[in-house]
Amino acid sequence: MATISSQGIIVGILATGIRLAAPFLYASLGEMFAQRSGVFNLGLEGIMMMGAFAGFMTSLGTGSPWLGVLAAIGVGAALGLLMAFISVTMQAEQGISGIGLHMFCWGLSGLLFRVYLGFITSCKGFGPWNIPVLSKIPFLGPVLFQHNWMVYFSLLLVPVSWFVLYRTTWGLKVRAVGTTPQAADTLGVNVNAIRYQCVVLGGAMAGLAGAFLTVGQANMYADNITAGRGFIAVALVYFGRWSPVGILLGSLLFSMMNALQLWIQVLGISFPYEFAVILPYVMTIAALAVAVRRVWAPTALGKPFRREAG
Amino acid sequence: MRKNRIVLVAFLALATLMVFGAGYGYGAPAKKIRIAMLMASTIDDMAWSQSMYEGLKAVQKEMGADKLEFVTSERMGNPVDAGAAIRQYADQGFDIIIAHGAQYQSVLMELAPDFPKTTFAYGTGFTTAPNIFAYDPQAQEGAYLLGMVAALMSKTGVVGIVGPVESGDAIKYNYGFQQGVAAGNPNVKVRIAYTGSFGDIVGAGELAKVHMDAKADVLTGSSQQAVGAARAVAERSGVYWMSTDMDQASLAPDHVLAAQVYHWEKVVKDMINYRAQGILGGKHLTLTFADGTLELRFNPKLTNKIPKAVLDRVEKAKQDIISGKLKVELPKAGGK
Amino acid sequence: MKKRTGTSDSLLQAGVLVGALVLALLVGAGLILLARANPITAYKAMFTGPVSGKYGITESLVKATPLLLVGLGIVISFRSGILNIGGEGQMVAGSLAGAAVALAFPSWPAIVLLPMTLIAGVLAGALWGGIAGWLKARLSVNEILSTVMLNQIAFQLNLYLIRGPMIDPQEVAYGTGCPQTALLPRSIWLPRIIRGTRFHWGLVIAIAFAILVYIFLWRTTIGYRMRASGAGPQAAKAAGIRVENYQILAMAFAGGFAGLAGIVEVLGVHHRVLEGLSGGYGFSGIVVALFGRLHPLGCIPASILFGALTLGADMMQRAVQIPAAIVMAIQGLVVLFVVGSDLLIRRPDLLRSRRMSGGSAGVAGKQGMARQGKGVSN
Repeated sequence: MATISSQGIIVGILATGIRLAAPFLYASLGEMFAQRSGVFNLGLEGIMMMGAFAGFMTSLGTGSPWLGVLAAIGVGAALGLLMAFISVTMQAEQGISGIGLHMFCWGLSGLLFRVYLGFITSCKGFGPWNIPVLSKIPFLGPVLFQHNWMVYFSLLLVPVSWFVLYRTTWGLKVRAVGTTPQAADTLGVNVNAIRYQCVVLGGAMAGLAGAFLTVGQANMYADNITAGRGFIAVALVYFGRWSPVGILLGSLLFSMMNALQLWIQVLGISFPYEFAVILPYVMTIAALAVAVRRVWAPTALGKPFRREAG
Repeated sequence: MRKNRIVLVAFLALATLMVFGAGYGYGAPAKKIRIAMLMASTIDDMAWSQSMYEGLKAVQKEMGADKLEFVTSERMGNPVDAGAAIRQYADQGFDIIIAHGAQYQSVLMELAPDFPKTTFAYGTGFTTAPNIFAYDPQAQEGAYLLGMVAALMSKTGVVGIVGPVESGDAIKYNYGFQQGVAAGNPNVKVRIAYTGSFGDIVGAGELAKVHMDAKADVLTGSSQQAVGAARAVAERSGVYWMSTDMDQASLAPDHVLAAQVYHWEKVVKDMINYRAQGILGGKHLTLTFADGTLELRFNPKLTNKIPKAVLDRVEKAKQDIISGKLKVELPKAGGK
Repeated sequence: MKKRTGTSDSLLQAGVLVGALVLALLVGAGLILLARANPITAYKAMFTGPVSGKYGITESLVKATPLLLVGLGIVISFRSGILNIGGEGQMVAGSLAGAAVALAFPSWPAIVLLPMTLIAGVLAGALWGGIAGWLKARLSVNEILSTVMLNQIAFQLNLYLIRGPMIDPQEVAYGTGCPQTALLPRSIWLPRIIRGTRFHWGLVIAIAFAILVYIFLWRTTIGYRMRASGAGPQAAKAAGIRVENYQILAMAFAGGFAGLAGIVEVLGVHHRVLEGLSGGYGFSGIVVALFGRLHPLGCIPASILFGALTLGADMMQRAVQIPAAIVMAIQGLVVLFVVGSDLLIRRPDLLRSRRMSGGSAGVAGKQGMARQGKGVSN
């Protein structure tokens, strides 16, 4: 009987954890920009669903998962635009409009799936792209360098986001708009335009996250394929204290815990599996509770901008 | 005179035929049977719900759309919505209302007395009422056979089950599968892991990957999320998938070795016939190999991979199950 | 707190709300066409269904009950400045705790057991919500994060309990293993108001609570302080109000109401704990609170309307055999349009302003702000 070594197990857990983190990274980093500018989007789950659907259908129809990714980004951006209009221009209560968007997208994706396809099938997805040389390194190779490009890209987005947020003018404007919109406004920054840009960006990245689930992971689509990941992604933004590094840590923590519980079950360690399944959620709260620090949040988060009489 | 006698006999024969014919419903036009089906998932889930939907379609094809009408109501996982739907269908005079899921037992028990002329049905279940049928696929039978095949075909000696949650026919299936593996080859190890929900196909795929990383080379799983696991299996070479509920070979034609297929047509026809006789419920309808409602189907593309000795052993086991010589155990109280 | 509006303003407000609903349904009609069905037949079924006959009206009221209870909790929490999206988990916690109590003491007289069961449900929900509140107040853990996590934890705990220690012994005996508890003692089932339907006394309990919540928020000191914490936390703190404590209390209240909704559903409708009991009410309750203009008495018609809307959408789906996904999409559209038009409802003057261009805040701000000072709080 074939057995797996303990090193094999550790490698397995780490590699699975990194792969599972990808959709959270995409969605959370996008949401981070939106929240940094002062808008929180609870409809992320719905946008992910539509992105997953668009990616799947396009890949199925054209045979190209790359086109699928593009379609998902486009759909995500369009939905982000809708959310921006409702939250920024119409100044709607963001929590509720996010939930409405989620419901609408869930229904729409389900409807379109039934009308245009109607049965479960698989599409072309991305295979693993082993990075030459690096993927052969024992231990680190399988853990980090044998994934598909979407996983690599999600990790790459962390330093990119950090740079954009902290080292570009636009990033500075975003941060200003989210903390002191009145001041930014007097300095000539178009508050609402920045918010629009961030929410659209957040939507595009959520669409990308959804596409990962279909063309990067499961190679198929079914109802509720996101299974709550969008909400976790929003929560991870808070966990990561609105910083890319924090979000990376949070996504990895959550996903590693998830990978751990999968492996615990598979290896037959006796444990009521329901407890294994809730492990990631409990750990996330515990980690945050233990790291007692005054939390800094974008001050204007959730508040529509109204120019006050000067 | 002889001619008259012939005519008389012919006339009597015809008359007799007509009398009996009327008894069989040939005389009077048959009333259209209306069936409603409710499910927690969707008709295209490629598993539990779709198999019943396909069964209903097959019956309709056989009887003719003018004799059988059926409607569906999807995403009725919420018991309140399900109750409202069932009540509405009953109000509208549907003959048979199928609430396709073990979780509907409670709401049916409550509603059924209000509609004594309607036939209700649900499953996987055991408890019945005068106008409630409970159907009960003996999934452990096919699971046993699939487990045998898995054990005999596994090269690594490790086999994996991707479970949703431990309930309904998943319990029977997993238990039967494990016994089948033990019977096929006691040295083969079976591992079970659960995703914790019926619908997380990405999660099922990930669980399958972990199984495979941990050296399992034959996998199986039930419920609509199993398609995610089947797909993950398809991405690796040298791993086989055993499917249940439906033949999922279309998803992974090079990997699905065998399937336990549920044939709901007979169950539906039984219910229709019972109703015609005035029996509106109260029967526990099982799906078994013995009456053909369960079928073990090998993937024609891959049968050349299976040694004849294996096929023979499995066939013998199947006959033993049918004859009752081999009994596949069910879990005891609170058993895992 | 709310600016007084004149009658023409009220008419405009009503008009905007109706307009939003109409727009949502128009887009919905497009979706129905996409599903290759006739929107007219579909909407006819959707609107006439819930009000036709004994069945339609009573089922709407059955759905309204948990919506109202959850909505009341949301009103309290929202008015105190905290958004509770943990309603689903809190409902589950309440249903489990209440059922556990009822199943533990089945022979006790109903006059004792029923209140105990209800209180257990309320306390469990309050605890579940209070955890999130405490985490926020003392450890600065954001409530959106904690409630999302707590929802998932509650679902899995629920599954574990109703599949394991709390499973119906009958299910074990027959080997069918359906995750549900045993039937609760018949003595504490909430009686049906109309025989032959599922309409039970839970709605009366809920309406009674709506009135109590109104009195609480507007006629007691605690209520005043909670509303002050929500309207202007800085000002409240300056006035010496311990805002954080009131926020914990608010989450506990919200959780308690959701927990009550859960146990009322069990006692009135299902008579046992099942999977899927929370049925999205935790989220829909938020929408109901919004429709009710965040006023406890407003939640009463809002919950009935939303219940009827959901029931109607389901009936429509059955009538024209379109995919059930449409129901969710139309609900989402209604929420989006109503929430999106909230600005115009709050500030009907914007509609009359000729200088308003596409609702952009900057321009409207100049005109409106001068008249009104600071923006109206939610």
